[in-house]
Amino acid sequence: MVNITINGQSIQAEAGQTVLQAAQAHGIEVPTLCYHKDLNPTGNCRMCIVEVKGGRFLQAACVTPVWEGMEIQTHSEKVTKDRKLTLELMLANHPQDCITCDVSGECELQDLAYEYKASAPEWGSKGTRYPVNSDPNPFIRVDMNRCILCRRCVSACAEIQVRDVWGVAKRGFDEIIVAGAGTTMLEARCESCGQCMAYCPTGALSNKMNYGTARAHQVTKVTTTCSYCGVGCQFDLLVKNKKVIGVQSNPNSPVNGMALCVKGRYGYDYIHHPERLTKPKVRRYLLEGKKKPVISEQWAVDSGQWDWVETEWDKALDIVADKLATTRKNYGADSIGVLTSAKCTNEENYLMNKLARQVIGTNNIDHCARL
Amino acid sequence: MTNKKIVYKPVDPEIEELALHHGGTQEATLEVLKDLDAKNNLNSVTITETARALHLPAHEAYGMATFYSMLSLEERKKVLRVCDGPVCWLKKASNQLSVNSEWQNKVGEDFTVERTSCLGLCDRAPAVLVEDEQAGPVEAQNAAKVCEGWRGVQTDYSTPRKGEVRVMTALIGKVNPDEIESALEHGLYDGLKKALQSDPTAVLAEVESSGLQGRGGAGFPVGRKWRFVASEKRTPRYIVCNADESEPLIFKDRVLMDTNPHQLLEGITIAGYACGASEAWIYIRGEYEYQARRLERAIEQAEAKNLLGENILGSSFSFKIHVHRGAGAYICGEETALIESLEGKRGEPRLRPPYPPTYGFRGQPTAVNNVESFCAVPHIVKNGAEWWRNLTDDPTPGTKVYMVLGHVKNPGLFEAPFGLTLREIINDFGGGMLPGSTFNFALCGGAAGTIVPPALVDAHIDYSSGPLKGVTRDIKAMEKRWTQVISMGAGSFLICDQTVSPVAFLRELLHFFAAESCGKCTPCRVGTWRSLEILNRLVSGQGQQGDTDELKTLAVLMQDSSFCGLGQSVPIPMKSVLTHFGAEFAKAELVK
Repeated sequence: MVNITINGQSIQAEAGQTVLQAAQAHGIEVPTLCYHKDLNPTGNCRMCIVEVKGGRFLQAACVTPVWEGMEIQTHSEKVTKDRKLTLELMLANHPQDCITCDVSGECELQDLAYEYKASAPEWGSKGTRYPVNSDPNPFIRVDMNRCILCRRCVSACAEIQVRDVWGVAKRGFDEIIVAGAGTTMLEARCESCGQCMAYCPTGALSNKMNYGTARAHQVTKVTTTCSYCGVGCQFDLLVKNKKVIGVQSNPNSPVNGMALCVKGRYGYDYIHHPERLTKPKVRRYLLEGKKKPVISEQWAVDSGQWDWVETEWDKALDIVADKLATTRKNYGADSIGVLTSAKCTNEENYLMNKLARQVIGTNNIDHCARL
Repeated sequence: MTNKKIVYKPVDPEIEELALHHGGTQEATLEVLKDLDAKNNLNSVTITETARALHLPAHEAYGMATFYSMLSLEERKKVLRVCDGPVCWLKKASNQLSVNSEWQNKVGEDFTVERTSCLGLCDRAPAVLVEDEQAGPVEAQNAAKVCEGWRGVQTDYSTPRKGEVRVMTALIGKVNPDEIESALEHGLYDGLKKALQSDPTAVLAEVESSGLQGRGGAGFPVGRKWRFVASEKRTPRYIVCNADESEPLIFKDRVLMDTNPHQLLEGITIAGYACGASEAWIYIRGEYEYQARRLERAIEQAEAKNLLGENILGSSFSFKIHVHRGAGAYICGEETALIESLEGKRGEPRLRPPYPPTYGFRGQPTAVNNVESFCAVPHIVKNGAEWWRNLTDDPTPGTKVYMVLGHVKNPGLFEAPFGLTLREIINDFGGGMLPGSTFNFALCGGAAGTIVPPALVDAHIDYSSGPLKGVTRDIKAMEKRWTQVISMGAGSFLICDQTVSPVAFLRELLHFFAAESCGKCTPCRVGTWRSLEILNRLVSGQGQQGDTDELKTLAVLMQDSSFCGLGQSVPIPMKSVLTHFGAEFAKAELVK
């Protein structure tokens, strides 16, 4: 244990903790921007600076380890003044279009500017330096004008997804985040997981699929488990007017945290797709209890025997049960094979296993994840 | 939409071969990129191939290719780099912005003219770099001659000035820098021989008790740093020589390497022996290609004489020295940025702690010291710590290589003990002000040094920012001392007369810092840029009320909140000039 003082309050911090961790553990708020608990801290935005007694310079709380007897001020006049100035330096070259920005209302830069009463100074480019929506990929909208160079996207891509698409190019005021060797994201091996977008504190990386459809306060978030595979990732569905308009990482997800794959994050358009099946369909000959016609026979096609017909669940399941029973009776249990899906939960797969082995009586069961 | 089908293609064999030639690891990145650049073949495709050949993500190689100023993705002819540093600016006294076009018009189609931050040829200002070759003093009107191979005039430091005490510079003009026999005749490597006869701990103790302070500018005790490295249990340990002399006004390391390379090698080898290190790297700035080759030649000769390599002089001590060239980045003079660059990354400073003695090159214990610091070591070992301390009555022991530039009669380099005042530097060593010149102010230390008004010419010069006990420093006391003690910095003094406007001068400095900020942290990245914008306005007669206040505010922010020493020290000249020449700034504000 290390004894430190934060804002006059004596605190016992754990050895090896950073000032930020120690403060957060005791409910003391220190503003952050480039820091994210999931990522290695870089200490480059300088928002979390604190005053350490005896220190010549202000220290970034996210990267400064605690030491015995350390006396810290998180909100001294000097500190808050510098934070405000740093924010102003960021805002000077940031577009002044919060009024139309997609992430307004859930933008960390906006929140901090509000908290520190920082407004954009008169000078600066105001976000006119780079092309808007500059990357052709279908999922992530890139607008480097809004980038504050916190590098969370770089860390998220390298540390969470281990894909190393994003990097930092040029230097000084010209510094910019780039994909690969200044190429498009897809050319830089992007697999469109959207981790970078989820970790972006501003609107520099936003969701292209639902861009301009809703502000944060206009949507209801419904936490759900992804239906694509059995991993069990959780996320929030963004619902507006009873329609799912997007997916957002839920940092409290026990399995996946903020991480999602391309399907989980962007594969939600099937929900309201006009061609989506919402009721079972069976072939007409089955519904009418006829014999299976031979497909080459023209009469079967002409009379619509092969058509898919919408029906009720009970009817459809009866047909399936009947077919399985008949097949088992005529050809034996091992004539039946069961292939389950990785989209199903563990419990569902377990039940299929029981159905195959104990009800049907075959060991012919496998799983699509083997493919 | 880009939706190219990805087809596996083996790495371009030419680049693969290049990568292997340079070692095939990430550390080779800069070298491969430089080779490609030399062939005018640096673009997205070749950079991606380089990354593949070195098993890196493409952005790592691209980040480097766009970070270092000597590399360019644009097609170039022969490159002529025109120095844009404050000393060259002073010499030309013309609008810097027009210099490139002035040269471009005169050199014709064969060359691509580029601006470059200070070339480290301040004693030969105005200077240019023609491909690899240093030239100066050369003006644009001599461009035709420069194209034909004329490289200006070399500075000659073989004759000491009156009052000099020469230790590190004693053999200038006497020893042949390209012949080890000549070096041996003059007693070089005697220090190493003596060191090898005693225990490493004894050598370390000798250096420690000499009180030698790091000559890069911060003045950290060399012995203490070595002690940290030597006491680390992990091996291998490394020595890194910081020869990335990129700060405007500073050229002493170039002269030391140029005139006596073996002295440096000897110092590094002794450091290796004392710290228990096995290998050393000299990180030399890319613009010093001539000096890099000279060092490589010297290393080869020393190896042939068994003064380097396996079992040096029959002892059990083996040691290797490598030369690593930078590619144009002032920030790489910051020791952790230097290590990053050495590892084949963008030269961005690391988080500290851990410090290099515990976590340095390749994560191993590393001693990083300046060229001049290493050059002092053989003399200390050879003559003893006592002798070194007795060279001066000043509390800071030993001699220092000083540089005096600007409007003095005899600009250049000299060696003297600590304890000089600015008045002595100007009058006794610089030969006094030029006829017709009156002392207006001096920039002391280096570009990130203090701007000193006439009232302080008799102040003491020392490592005022040197280490006090522990890591804590009293800010108030420091600021107070700035007005009483002039910071030694790296030991350069640029003397400006009444013709130089402090406002325009500060603009030149910020022009440099804005160009060299690495961009990692917000205060430095935007703060230097914004300060330059204000200064441009003030200089061009477009000053606005409140400009000075904004500069002061930015200076405080950058000093308090920047990530590394670059951003933290930009405000030193800013604050001092605003304090001493506030009236000039107020005048510039009001010009309409």
